[in-house]
Amino acid sequence: MIAGSIYTLLALGFTIIYGTLNFFNMAHGIAYTLGAYFSYVFRIKLGLDLPLAFSLSTLLTALVMLGVDKIAYSHLRTRRAPSWALVVSSIGVAIFAESLIAVVFGSDTRSLRIGQAAPGYTLFGAIITPVQIWMLIVSALLMIFLTLHLKMTIMGKALRATSNDPEMSSIVGINTQSIYQSTFALGSALAAIAGSLVALETDVFPTMGHAALLKSIVASIIGGIGNIPGAVFGSFFLGFVENFGIWKISASWKDGISLILLIFFILLRPSLFGMEEKK
Amino acid sequence: MNVIFHLLIMSGIYIILTLSLNLLLGYAGLFSVGHGAFYGIGAYAAAILATKLGFPFWGEILAAASIAGLCGFVIGFPTLRLRGDYLALATFGFAVIIYSVFNNWYDLTRGPLGIRGIPKVVLFSIPLSSLWSYTVLVGFFVLLTIFCIRRLTHSAFGKVLEAIREDDMAATAIGKNIAKFKVLAFVIAAFFAGIAGVLYAHYVTFIDPSSFLIQESFLIFSMVIFGGMGSIGGSILGAAILVILPEALRFLGLPSAVAANMRQMIFGVLIVFIINWRPEGLLGKSKL
Repeated sequence: MIAGSIYTLLALGFTIIYGTLNFFNMAHGIAYTLGAYFSYVFRIKLGLDLPLAFSLSTLLTALVMLGVDKIAYSHLRTRRAPSWALVVSSIGVAIFAESLIAVVFGSDTRSLRIGQAAPGYTLFGAIITPVQIWMLIVSALLMIFLTLHLKMTIMGKALRATSNDPEMSSIVGINTQSIYQSTFALGSALAAIAGSLVALETDVFPTMGHAALLKSIVASIIGGIGNIPGAVFGSFFLGFVENFGIWKISASWKDGISLILLIFFILLRPSLFGMEEKK
Repeated sequence: MNVIFHLLIMSGIYIILTLSLNLLLGYAGLFSVGHGAFYGIGAYAAAILATKLGFPFWGEILAAASIAGLCGFVIGFPTLRLRGDYLALATFGFAVIIYSVFNNWYDLTRGPLGIRGIPKVVLFSIPLSSLWSYTVLVGFFVLLTIFCIRRLTHSAFGKVLEAIREDDMAATAIGKNIAKFKVLAFVIAAFFAGIAGVLYAHYVTFIDPSSFLIQESFLIFSMVIFGGMGSIGGSILGAAILVILPEALRFLGLPSAVAANMRQMIFGVLIVFIINWRPEGLLGKSKL
């Protein structure tokens, strides 16, 4: 359940980036890691309030990722390079940024935890900590916000139009480049929030983005990439299967299990939610 | 002097890896980002065959490379219909699964402890214990790989692969069984990556899963992109430069942890730069 809600934030970001910019953003884990580190800096080093630290870190991550988009992706987009070129470029970004983070912050683990872990409550036979309840609430709110945003606001409509048919949208006067940028920033911001939330419970380290990237890929593929309800379903499904796997097999096979799921679903495409492949 | 031999051996191993991946990326247009998996399979197979079963070198390298080739079939066959970035994801997944197997199948791979005490190569009952003799052996395999890949890509087989890359529909229309060619390309590429793995295992004599992380696959991938897709000379140059360049950082006197990260940063910047501004790489022909 908790894992599911974090995966949801990750997968939502990943899936809207894919749906609009049409490539697998292998640097998605970087936004997550950056979010966690920025929150760490604002909260622990500068001693800001938790909500303020989180908002600042999310904003900052979105800005950084806008810069990344400008340097590494926008050029390829305007040249209409094939999507794999963007994938390769994002791999480059991921390798670079991860090492940069390791140099700047050091490779040892950090944490946002303060003092003792608060005692958990028992709910339906499972132990749940206050932080985890907050995670659930925040991710639920963000899911609702995102859905409303896409359905109701002008920007959301423009975003959906662009992801449907970029050429047509630019003809009717939508600035597709700025839609691409804002979607990328939005998707990265979601990952950054996920990173900050996770940092409340577990350690922060430079390669934490690997696992996050894996989860976002698997969860969004399960649900049908580019599909928002699908991503939510895929995330909870993944969280469930993983925990079931840990219980039945062993914790060290966790990544193996999710990757086998991934390959299984890639081969089974078009997936559960019937999203057809885009050209 | 030893440093030079070390660099030659490592360059040789990476040249084999890069050439074999180039067969997939540059010639067949198959976006495999999990090449490190086959490298790891070759290395582990060699280590297990040599330490547990005491295979002679030639039998062992053939067996280990064949096991890697078989795994190439296992991943190449089901992913036939996948194209472009989906294939990249599937191979990425495969590489992580293989890493997870190395790490968790304790009885076979000894998990994170790794396999130590892999014997040095003995050829015609002469042990190749000195660095230079091993360099010669690696050099032999590099030449063999260059020869094979060159022959392959200049043959009818290579032309069909290029046809598949350009337009697989048209290749099917002129009566080519593209499924067979794609799988074969995967098997051959995996076979050579397996050879590189064997050479690595006997060189370092100790392997553990951390040598075959997904970064390793990305590294080989960036060597191909850097050198230029579809170019044999480019692959050789790309691999040699990217192996030797980071060594230069050592002379700057950075602490080793920072140096390792600097190396990664340089790779990252290079990939982004090449793909954005010089997509054909150093010596490649194919444009985006």
